[in-house]
Amino acid sequence: MTIEDTLVTFEGVHKRYDDFVAVKALDLEIKRGEFVAIMGPSGCGKTTTLRMLAGLETPSGGKITIGGKCMNDVPAHERDTPLVWQSLALFPFLNVIENVEFGLKMRGVPDFERQPRALIWLERLGLKGFEKRRIDQLSGGQRQRVALARSLVTEPEMLLLDEPLSALDAHLVIRMQGVLTKLQKELGITFVYVTHSQSEAFAMADRVVIMGQGEISQIGAPRDIFRAPKNRFVAEFVGRNNIFAGMGQSGGDIVVAADRISVSREATEGASVQAAFLSEEFVGTAIICYFEGPDGEDLKALVTEEELEALSPEPGEQFWLSWAPEAVHELEGA
Amino acid sequence: MRMADILSRVYVAALFVFVFLPILTSVVFSFNSDRFPTVPLGHFTTHWYETAFSRPEVWLAFKNSLIVAFCAASLSTMLGFVTAYTDFRYGFRFKTAYLALALLPPTIPLVIMGLAMLAWLGRLGLSGTLIGIIIAHTVMGAPFAMAICRMRLQQMDPALEAAAWNLGASPWRTMASVVIPFSTPALISAFCLTAAVSFDEFIVAWFVSGLNKTVPVMILEILQGNVDPQINAIGTVVFLTSITLVILAQLLILRRSAT
Repeated sequence: MTIEDTLVTFEGVHKRYDDFVAVKALDLEIKRGEFVAIMGPSGCGKTTTLRMLAGLETPSGGKITIGGKCMNDVPAHERDTPLVWQSLALFPFLNVIENVEFGLKMRGVPDFERQPRALIWLERLGLKGFEKRRIDQLSGGQRQRVALARSLVTEPEMLLLDEPLSALDAHLVIRMQGVLTKLQKELGITFVYVTHSQSEAFAMADRVVIMGQGEISQIGAPRDIFRAPKNRFVAEFVGRNNIFAGMGQSGGDIVVAADRISVSREATEGASVQAAFLSEEFVGTAIICYFEGPDGEDLKALVTEEELEALSPEPGEQFWLSWAPEAVHELEGA
Repeated sequence: MRMADILSRVYVAALFVFVFLPILTSVVFSFNSDRFPTVPLGHFTTHWYETAFSRPEVWLAFKNSLIVAFCAASLSTMLGFVTAYTDFRYGFRFKTAYLALALLPPTIPLVIMGLAMLAWLGRLGLSGTLIGIIIAHTVMGAPFAMAICRMRLQQMDPALEAAAWNLGASPWRTMASVVIPFSTPALISAFCLTAAVSFDEFIVAWFVSGLNKTVPVMILEILQGNVDPQINAIGTVVFLTSITLVILAQLLILRRSAT
């Protein structure tokens, strides 16, 4: 990565409130044109990180740069870091086009230029003909797109998104994910996307940053994080992973992904554990079977419909869960 | 259940009759030709309105009342909005005390308030002036304006202001282009209500008005002289003015909670 490629850097950034540390010693670089998702459970500091990037929170220490310039003391309204809010925060007293024009107006773009630029974005996001609508006359998905248009109309280098899809119905989430990834590729700008949803982060991002308790736990491509979680926190948070304590070669914990577990009634050769069947869950083409391990741990295995029928498990029945040696990923630390 | 339903309807109707009958009586007698308020009624007349509004001191009192109501309502609304915004936007140590103080004036007995205003404004050389009444009515109206503005600001998404900063609006620009437009219904409503409070207010105005009488003060002075149906005529106009302002305020409150 060369200097020109880097758009944002966090160097030892931390944020402390009176009696609570929201973010501790964060180091992160974000490249131009990259789609980065910051993911973690609530209270992990991901939203604070985003707000510091937008200038809505001031870091207690460390340095944030955008385009090589230190941004610590630049107030929010002098930055070009539009944010798509979780609540959308559309202005209810303005109509659709007035909402979209807002950023241009505040930047002193003259009247005659504002309207055509806003219209281009409304059309691009499929909102043509809705210019004069009031915000409360729009559906959830339409409001979402107004919020996007409002943020993108100033043609920023970077767009920040704070759990923008959390209020939408499941089928709309998938559609909006498509809209967002397409937009990001077409515009070639940086997206920084904060979410607690693994599926959103993994579906869209080039790189995922996993945060826990104010620190970065792991940074990597979705596939790397899924296949090679660094520690127990990541492995648990990412889900569909089985964690076996103390089974590594050096006595550490190991992780085996649910889709690499095979289930049988008889004991098999190689690594395996005996576990009691709990329940099953259909997830599209495959089925997740849940088991309880010998030490009470939650285990899961991904099986096909045929496999499930062949096994026909009853709750409480014992099965052998086994895996190939190459499926094992050893965790760092305890 | 059905019986209870009927009873509650009757109760509400009775309540309205109880509240509005005296005022209605006054309205009816203002159009009655007899000098004394007795039944059976005489014939319909607008005589009392004509005589009342041919007196220059009545016009002067109305003019005074309107000036006071307009100025006091503007000042109350401004103060109330600023106080409510401070509460909405900032957290500070003695906030509860600050709010309690801001909401205190309506709990002070009006006679005490009147006396205190007289003493204080007298020292400032403002007793007996319209400015004195305006100050007194502003103090009385600001808590109402604050309550109304607070209700509106509580409905505002806290992200709305931050969203405006994020889109390049300075804090002052945000106030002008987001917070005030969002609060406009509350501001108009607070203005109407505090204007009505001022227009009706008698006790404090009586203490501080001196020669610059407002309408309620003038009504009492006429009443002290003799029973005169002109009072009913003036009273009806005052009532209509106030009720219009209050209804306007209520309509705005109702409409904004619908959205």
